[in-house]
Amino acid sequence: MIRKRPIILTVNGSTYARDIEPRRLLTDFLREDLGLTGIHVGCEHGVCGACTVLLDGTSARACLCLAVQADGREVTTVEGMGEIGALSLLQEKFRKHHALQCGFCTPGMLATAHEILSDAAPLTDAEIREALSGNLCRCTGYEHIVRAVSEALSERLGSTAAGSAPNAG
Amino acid sequence: MQDDARPKFIGSRVQRLEDPRLLTGAGGFVDDIQLAHTLHVALVRSDHAHARILSVDVDAAGALPGVIGIYTADDFSASPLHATSRMKGYQSTGITALAEGKVRFVGEAIAAVVAESRYIAEDAAGLITVGYAPLPDLVDSRIAAASDVLLHEHHESNILVSRKFARGDVAEAFANAAIRVKDSFRFHRKTPLAIENRSYLADFNKGKQALTLYSSTQVPGVIRDALAEVLAMPGHSVRVVAPDVGGGFGGKASLYPEEILVSLLSRKLGQPVKWTSDRLEDLLTTSQAFDEAIDAELAVDKDGHLLGLKAEILGDVGAYSIYPWTAALEPMQVAGFLPGPYQLANYQAEVVAVTTNKTPAGPYRGVGRPAAAFVLERLIDMAAQRLDLDPVEMRRRNLVQPGQFPYRTGSGIVWDQSGFIECLELACKGVNYPALQAERSVARQAGRWFGVGVASYAELTGIGSRMSAAPGMPINTGTETATVEVDASGAVRATFGVASHGQGLETTLAQIVADELSVPVDSVQVIHGDSAAVTHSTGTYASRSAVLAGGAAHLSGQAVRDKVLEAAAFMLEADTDDLDIEDGIISERGTNKTLSLAEVGRAVYSEMGRFPLEMRAELDLRATKFYDPEFGTTTSATHIAAVEIDPETFIVTVKRFLVAEDCGRLINPMIVDGQVHGGIVQGIGAALYEEVVHDQNGQALSASLVDYVAPSAAETPKLEVLHLDTAALGTLGGYRGMGEGGTIGAPAAIANAITDALSHLNINISELPATPERIYRLVTQAIEGDT
Amino acid sequence: MASHAGEAKLIAGGQSLMPMLNFRLLDPALLVDISRLPAFDQITAGERGITVGGGARHYALMRSPELAERLPIISHTMQYVAHMAIRNRGTIGGSLAHGDPAAELPLLAVLLDAEIHITGPAGDRTARAEDFFLAPLTTDLSEDEILTAVTFPNLAAGSGWGFEEIARRSGDFALAGAGAVLTLHHGAIADVRLAMMGVDETPRRLPAIEAMLLGRAWDAGVRAAAVRQVREQVNPMSDLQASADYRRHLAGVVAGRALDAAWAKGQTL
Repeated sequence: MIRKRPIILTVNGSTYARDIEPRRLLTDFLREDLGLTGIHVGCEHGVCGACTVLLDGTSARACLCLAVQADGREVTTVEGMGEIGALSLLQEKFRKHHALQCGFCTPGMLATAHEILSDAAPLTDAEIREALSGNLCRCTGYEHIVRAVSEALSERLGSTAAGSAPNAG
Repeated sequence: MQDDARPKFIGSRVQRLEDPRLLTGAGGFVDDIQLAHTLHVALVRSDHAHARILSVDVDAAGALPGVIGIYTADDFSASPLHATSRMKGYQSTGITALAEGKVRFVGEAIAAVVAESRYIAEDAAGLITVGYAPLPDLVDSRIAAASDVLLHEHHESNILVSRKFARGDVAEAFANAAIRVKDSFRFHRKTPLAIENRSYLADFNKGKQALTLYSSTQVPGVIRDALAEVLAMPGHSVRVVAPDVGGGFGGKASLYPEEILVSLLSRKLGQPVKWTSDRLEDLLTTSQAFDEAIDAELAVDKDGHLLGLKAEILGDVGAYSIYPWTAALEPMQVAGFLPGPYQLANYQAEVVAVTTNKTPAGPYRGVGRPAAAFVLERLIDMAAQRLDLDPVEMRRRNLVQPGQFPYRTGSGIVWDQSGFIECLELACKGVNYPALQAERSVARQAGRWFGVGVASYAELTGIGSRMSAAPGMPINTGTETATVEVDASGAVRATFGVASHGQGLETTLAQIVADELSVPVDSVQVIHGDSAAVTHSTGTYASRSAVLAGGAAHLSGQAVRDKVLEAAAFMLEADTDDLDIEDGIISERGTNKTLSLAEVGRAVYSEMGRFPLEMRAELDLRATKFYDPEFGTTTSATHIAAVEIDPETFIVTVKRFLVAEDCGRLINPMIVDGQVHGGIVQGIGAALYEEVVHDQNGQALSASLVDYVAPSAAETPKLEVLHLDTAALGTLGGYRGMGEGGTIGAPAAIANAITDALSHLNINISELPATPERIYRLVTQAIEGDT
Repeated sequence: MASHAGEAKLIAGGQSLMPMLNFRLLDPALLVDISRLPAFDQITAGERGITVGGGARHYALMRSPELAERLPIISHTMQYVAHMAIRNRGTIGGSLAHGDPAAELPLLAVLLDAEIHITGPAGDRTARAEDFFLAPLTTDLSEDEILTAVTFPNLAAGSGWGFEEIARRSGDFALAGAGAVLTLHHGAIADVRLAMMGVDETPRRLPAIEAMLLGRAWDAGVRAAAVRQVREQVNPMSDLQASADYRRHLAGVVAGRALDAAWAKGQTL
C-alpha cells in the first residue's frame, strides 16, 4: 500500500484537507475526490489542454501535476469562474460567438483564455491563436474561439483603461 | 408552422441552450458520472499486430490488493456479433469483448482487470504477461490482398468486399477524348480524434435484471439493439444513454468491444463497471479512416467537358469489419461519389476492401468523399492545366446545371436540385477570385510560392429509407422520431432518438418545436441520446439529424399545436380557426380571450372533467411522429483555398479559406458556421498534418498527440463561410445535412492550391497529407530531374 | 536521493517527467519535489553574467527584465518553448536535466557557453554546457545530484543574435533549430558562435563553421558556403515527422536564418 500524505489546498475559494497517495494526479483529485468534473482528461501527456486549470493564478496542466504538488496552493477550475445565470465575461463571449460545440475542451480553453485576459496586453488575432495553441479543440475550427477571446480582451482592455478592476475572466 | 406565421427562431442566431452548463463545468460526460461502488477496468492490449495468444499469466496481478478479478475471452460465453451485409461476396468478421485465440492489431484487448480503482487496475495490468506465437504481420493492403496468410481463418481471402460497376460507354468516352489525365492517388489513414476519449459505464440492476450503459456514443439506439442481442436480454431491459458526448466525428458511431465488455462485467459482478480510454488506447483502438489508394483516369474533350472516368479503389479497412457499417462503408462511398457534382455519364470503378493488421476502419467525417473529391478535383485541375483553362471555368462548364436536376451520376446516385453552380459563383465572388489571382501574380513575381485551389463537391445527406447509409448494411436508418408534449405546467418537452455530441441539437431542434408551437425557444426542453426515451432510433451520424429529426420535430410539433388549439377552442368556446398562439399564449382573434399553455395543460391533465367524455380518449397534448425523407437531399459547396509555401522549409501556410455552400434552409446560422469551420479544420488536418503511421510490424508510430499532429489555433487560418440559404425542395423544413462537408472539400482545395503553388516545378500533389517532408521530396526530385 | 539509488526521481515543474509517469514508462519508488527549495527560482544578475536558479520557470525567463536587457536571445527564444501552460510550470533545471536534443534551453546553454551548477553528495561542481549533454535524454547529471543553477555569461557588447526553429506546429519540438551570436569589427565578423538543435544526438556548436566565418562579411557567398557546410556537419536522425535528409536540409535553413538575424542585429547594435 502506498503511504498517503496530507495536503491542504484552496480550490475555487474553498479549503480542502485530504490524505492522498503521492502519485495521484491533480486531475483525478479534482474530478474524483472533490467532484469537480468541469475540467476533463484528454491525453494525460500535456498536449490537448482539456485539463488546464489556474494554479496560483496562472494556467497549468492538471494532468502534469501531482495533487501533492498543489499542497498549499490555490487552484481555480471552470467551476470557480462563473455560474449558470452569472456567466463570466469570457463565458458570455464564448456563448455569444458559439465558441464551443461539444464543450469537452471548453473548461481548459477558458483557463487559458483567462490568463490571456489577466495579462491584459492587446493581442492581434494571430497572437491570440498562438496563445491558444496549447489547447486543442476538434469541433470549432477555432474561428469562433478567437472571436470570443478577442472581443473579451477588447472589452477588458477598454474597461481597464476606464479604471475598473482588472479581474480577468 | 402555420403558413401565415413567420418563423421566429428558425433562421436566427439563437444562443445555444446547452452552453450554460458546458461553460460552467456543469456538463455531464460519461467519465464525469460517479456511481457508488463503481469498479474500474484496465485492459491488457496486444503489442503484436498478428499473433496467436498462447498464454495469459495473471497470477501476480490477481494477488494485488484491490483487484476484483481478471478476465479473458474464455470467461464469457457471448457469441460474436457480425456486421452482416447483403452485398454479394462480402465476408464478415465477428466482434467480441476480448480477443479470442488470436490478436489482429496492436492494441486489441486480451485481458481485462477489474479493480477498486483505475490506478490499481493499471498496476495489475502491468503485471500480466501474455505469451504470443507471432504470425506474419499484414500491414500493406496490396500484400494482404494477395496473401495466403489469412487474418480470419474462415475467410477465403483477406478481401472482404470486391465490386465492379460501370455505367455508360467508358471505352468510347476514352477513345473519343481529346486528353486523358491520370494519377495514382494516396490518402493516408486518419483518426477522428474527439478530444473526449471513449468512455463506458455499465450499471446492471440485479433487482430489475436490467442494464444501463452510459456510453460516449453517437448511436445509442444501435448499441442498445446490439447489446440486447449479445446479452440475450429484451430490449426494454437494456438502456443506452449518451449523455454529454465530447465530439464524435464518426469515431463514436460504431459498436466497440469495450461497450460489450463493461456490460458483461457489470452483469457478472452486480456492480457498476467503468472503462475510460486513455489517449494511447484511443489512438490504437478507435476506428480509423481515409486509408485508400486510388488509381484514376479522366477523359476530357477539347473544350474541357468531362467524358469518362475510370477508377480502381483499394481500401485498407483494418482488422475487422466494423459494426454495423461493415468494411464496405468507406471504399464503396469513394466509388459512389467519385463522379462528383459534374455531368459525367460514363464511369467505371473497381472497389476492393482489404483486411489488414491495423486498427479497424470505420466512419469518419466525410466518409470516402474527402478521398473522392481529392481525386476528382485533382484530375479536373490536371485536365484544366493541359487545356489551358482556368480551374473555375473548367468547373463552370461541367457542373450539373440548374435545369438538369434531378441528375443521375455515373455511379447511379441521384442529385436533387442543389446550388452547384451557384456555390461556385458565390465562392468566386466571396473570395474575389480575380483579385486573388492578381495577388498570386504579384507574389510569384516576388519569388513567393503562392497558390490558389478550388474544389467543388456534392454529398447526399439526410438519407431516407430508400437509400442505405452504408451499402448492403442490414439496418435501415431512413427514419427518425420526435415526441413533443406539453405537460400540466405548460412546459414543453421534445424527445428525440438522435444524440447530440456538439452539433447543438438541443438548440436547433428546440427552435423548430418552438416555432411550431409558438412558444419561447428556451421553454423547450430537448431530450436526446437515451435509447429508453424512444421506441426506436439509431442516432446521430451521416449528416442526418437536422433533416430527419428536424422533420419529425415539425410533424410532431404541428400535431401538438393542433391538439392545444383543439383543447383551447373547447375551453374558450371558440373555433380553432380563430385562435392564435404567440409566446405560449393562446388568444381568440378579435376578442380579449386568452389562455396560457399552462392553463390548457392543467385543464387537460388535471381538470379533464371540463371536457366531454368523447374527447377524453384522445385528450393529451402529446404526439409522436416519424419522418422519412425517402431518398435524402443533396448538399453542395465550393471551397477556395490560398496557400503559401516557404520555398526553403516547404511548410505550407493556409492564407485564406472560403466556403460557399448550399445546406438548404439554415436553422441556426451560427451553428451552421461552426459546423463548417470544424469540418474545414479537420480537412486542413487531413490535407497537411494528420496521419496514422504504422511500421512494417503494424506498430502504431503515431501513438501520442505529439506524433499524431492535429492542427491547433496557430496553424488554422481565419475561415470564411457563405450560404445560399435557399430551402431544399425535397425535405420537410427545407433543410439539408451539413455536418461533414467542411472535411470533404478542404483536402481537395488545399491539394489543388499546393499544386498550383508548385506549378513552376510541375509537381502534382497526389498524396495526402502533404507534409513538409513529402513536399521536400517532391521538390528535390523535381529539381534533380531538371538538372 | 543517494539512499534510493536508481529508484528515485527529482520533480520540479514535471512537464517532461509527468508524461513519462502517466504513460508508465517510468515507475520511480520515490519522487522528490524540489520545486520549493528556497531561492531555487531566483534570477540574479551578477557581474560575469546572469545566474538562473534551477527551479526558475520558463515564463520567468521569458519575462525577466535582466535577461531581456542583457541576454535578449533567451527572452526571445522562450516563446518557442511549448505553450503557455507548460511554460508556467516547466523549469530550466528540468529542461536541461531532461536533455531533449530538440529543446530550446539546452541549445541556449550550449550556444551561450553556460555554466551548469550541480550539487550532490560529493559536493558542488560546475559543468560546461558543452560537456553536459551526452546523448538524447542523457546528461552528465548523476542520479544523486541536483542541477541547482545555470550561469549565462555576459555577451560581448554589441553582440548580434538570432534564433530560428522549424516545427510542424506552434510549440512542438523543433525539427531543426539554430542559435547564433556574433560581434562585428569593421564590417567583418570578429567573433561568432553557432549552435544547432534537433539535428544531432545533443545540441552542439559547429566550430568549423564559426572558424570559417571569422573575419568575413555575411554576404551571399559566405552565407551559401555556411549553409552548405552546416548540412555537411550535422548528423540528424529520421523520425515520424522528418527524415534525416529533410532535417539536414532544414539545418542549413535555420542556421542561415539565425545568422541573418545575428548579422542584422550586430550591425545596428
